[in-house]
Amino acid sequence: MKIIKKCPLFLLLLSTGIFFTIIAAGGRRTIYAGQEYSPLKAPLLSVMFTGLNEGIYPWQVLENGSITTSGPMDTDLAQAEASQEDMADPGDVEQKDEQVSSDREEVPPAKIPSQETAKEEGQEERNPEEVGEDPSKQGEEGVQEEEEDEPEKSPLPEGEGSEADLPDQRAEEIPEGRLAPLRESTHEEYLNHISADIYGDAGVIRAASYGFSQVDETYFDDALFIGDSRTVGLRDYTDLSEHADFYCETSLTIYKVMEENFKGLGTVEQALAAKDYGKIYLMVGINELGRGTTENYMEEYTEVVDTLRRLEPDAKIIIQGVMRVSGEKNSSDAIFNNSNINARNNAVATLADNEQIFYVDVNEVVCDEEGNLKADYTFDQIHLLGVYNDLWKQFLMAHGV
Amino acid sequence: MVSFSSLEFLFRFLPVFFILYFITPSRHREITLLIGSIIFYAVGEPEFILVLVLATLINHLFAAQSWKVSEGFALHEWQNRRRKRYMIKAVALDVLVLCTFKMLGIFVSNALLPLGLSFYLFKMISFQVDLYRREVWCRPQLKYTALYFMMFPQVVSGPIMRYREGEFELTRNYSLEQLEDGLKYFILGLGMKVLLADRLAILWNDLQMIGFQSISTPLAWLGAAGFSLQLYFDFWGYSLMASGLLVMLGYHFIENFNHPYASKSISEFYRRWHVTLGNWFRDYVYIPLGGSRCSGVRLVFNLAVVWLLTGIWHGNGVNYVIWGAVLGLFIILEKLVYGKLLNKAPVLGHVYVLFLIPLTWVVFAVNDLSYLGVYFGRLFPFLGGPGIAVNQQDIVRYAQNYGIYFLAGIALCVPAVFRLFEKYKKNPIVVLLLAVIFWYSVYFLSSSAGNPFMYLKF
Repeated sequence: MKIIKKCPLFLLLLSTGIFFTIIAAGGRRTIYAGQEYSPLKAPLLSVMFTGLNEGIYPWQVLENGSITTSGPMDTDLAQAEASQEDMADPGDVEQKDEQVSSDREEVPPAKIPSQETAKEEGQEERNPEEVGEDPSKQGEEGVQEEEEDEPEKSPLPEGEGSEADLPDQRAEEIPEGRLAPLRESTHEEYLNHISADIYGDAGVIRAASYGFSQVDETYFDDALFIGDSRTVGLRDYTDLSEHADFYCETSLTIYKVMEENFKGLGTVEQALAAKDYGKIYLMVGINELGRGTTENYMEEYTEVVDTLRRLEPDAKIIIQGVMRVSGEKNSSDAIFNNSNINARNNAVATLADNEQIFYVDVNEVVCDEEGNLKADYTFDQIHLLGVYNDLWKQFLMAHGV
Repeated sequence: MVSFSSLEFLFRFLPVFFILYFITPSRHREITLLIGSIIFYAVGEPEFILVLVLATLINHLFAAQSWKVSEGFALHEWQNRRRKRYMIKAVALDVLVLCTFKMLGIFVSNALLPLGLSFYLFKMISFQVDLYRREVWCRPQLKYTALYFMMFPQVVSGPIMRYREGEFELTRNYSLEQLEDGLKYFILGLGMKVLLADRLAILWNDLQMIGFQSISTPLAWLGAAGFSLQLYFDFWGYSLMASGLLVMLGYHFIENFNHPYASKSISEFYRRWHVTLGNWFRDYVYIPLGGSRCSGVRLVFNLAVVWLLTGIWHGNGVNYVIWGAVLGLFIILEKLVYGKLLNKAPVLGHVYVLFLIPLTWVVFAVNDLSYLGVYFGRLFPFLGGPGIAVNQQDIVRYAQNYGIYFLAGIALCVPAVFRLFEKYKKNPIVVLLLAVIFWYSVYFLSSSAGNPFMYLKF
């Protein structure tokens, strides 16, 4: 008792710390399986907090170990994450099915069922072939293996740590028809894969062949802009917002476009219901460079474009290629670099049919001859300085459809 | 790992170190702390650990020689002369090392500046002078001098403790209460750093991202105020963490900030801001130059030297020199012209400080002089014109997003609020609040550790 009086705060931190560690250890294989964790750099309990940040609450660990998501975490994100987990752990089919089924439980009633099934099917179709061709899983596996040097912290025998220790047992768990992962592939190979240029520039070239016309500002009176913080810059530092509507939010991703409740505005779906738009401009993609693969980015993008078309059949959809980063960023960042941006731009450009869907790439006016965002145009290597958003506006005015 | 507000430090280094420290028998704990400090530095900056170790050894050798000369009851003139020679040689060497690396940092690359260099060399200089002034009372032992120069809570950025404040030779008392007390200061500092300074840093980053030419005048002022608070809580938080760690280890609390924003003049502000640095300049530069007990011209010269050196010490850039010069100018004016007026009219004094200090921080913050000109043009639009592509509504959004941090920050600038904490720090509610602050900070640190872009999402 005496000791409690002497150092209550110390004991409080110690006990809460132990408690959080138990939660984290309990959920390590289930609700926190998607959280990155490197034992040398951070405590196990940090996964509880990174989970919290993504809307995974600690008490969900009690719910029989299945993944449920709620709150700010939406189903698409959950699926993106589920597929990431698949990458990390291709052998664990059971777990994935569990996730999918629990996702289904969590689907809000408003969600159209056909869409959901389609997505699910898509995922199921995709997975086997991914295992066949995909070095990323092995890359991830290799990374995990390096990082996990505290196998005893893994509460279940299937924990990644023990997998690393017991390759033989692991091999047995792999279902028939799937290749055993190669452990030799490197982190670089994984990084290369997540934004692999699997489409080439055919789509970009075809899209560029369209005869765009010069327009004036009134052209944007029936335009809707959807985007991340870069589009926020376009909204705040040009006069386009006097004409067009902007549904943009920092850190928006393609996975959240349809669910995001834009501050004070509502969702994109509500926007499309309230007003007839003639043009919908879309620029997202930089935030999700580190997430998923080119394939599932493309899949999600297709889905969003299809949904927009269904909701607003007469509107032209203008896909904007993601603006590149500066040379400094490009050469120093393994994920947020221009080859990754180009690869994903090449992918979404193939969606353009030059009739209803168009693809434009602002990079031609803001980049230097090496294809990097001009250093003078940016302070943080990513966003245009306020004043240079005018270049973007002028570019859009030169690319009316 | 060298940052106290990192998960690596909090959950890897610190627990292991504390366990080892407290299982070591108390008479050998200095050794544990010394080894821990060397590991701490070596992990953070393996390239330059040798510079620290060599500087420590050389300074110790000079000190040992000087001490040998001074043995005996009364000091003769010849002894003092030799002691002075040792002191001057050692200080000259320290200054030379400092200048060499500073030059390398300016003209070659910032990467050549060893971690904490200016802090530990300042300690070394102060140690040599104190030894000469006979303010070091026991024969310097290597384990103590090395510990003083290298101790991990202070090696990276202070506070610049004096050797005698360490009370290295005395038997140390350890208690759970002290551990608890130190922990409270540490967590308070952690909260200031992570929950306030790091949040406000995003505001300043946003202004740079937008480009100063495009921010509205109200936003420019909000930015100046935000940067003033950010710097304060960054450094005060750091100092509280460092001193909290010292208290936990059984040393004294070293005060580095004493509510500077409650000052009534700029000279008072700098008696209360980064106190250990100010005292260092006072004791080892200003007073040896003659201090204030001299002619008016000489006084102006002394102050100018101190403030130019302060400016240069803070960083490699012309803006730091300007910053130091401007502060020196105001302090000279206060000494010679209107200091007494400010003292008599406290309200005027507060307004004067709260208006000028943020402006000087803008000079401190912006390295590029042309950008600095643009920023002042936005602060005072009648000087700088209307700006380019300015969004006049920007202040609304930023005030909404950052208002809470400003409110909390301003509250903490009021001395009474902090006194309230000190008075009630044993109260269960305060204990609970500190635990919440700790875990909330860990939450932020965790979510930004996995994703470095958490702070600055696109």
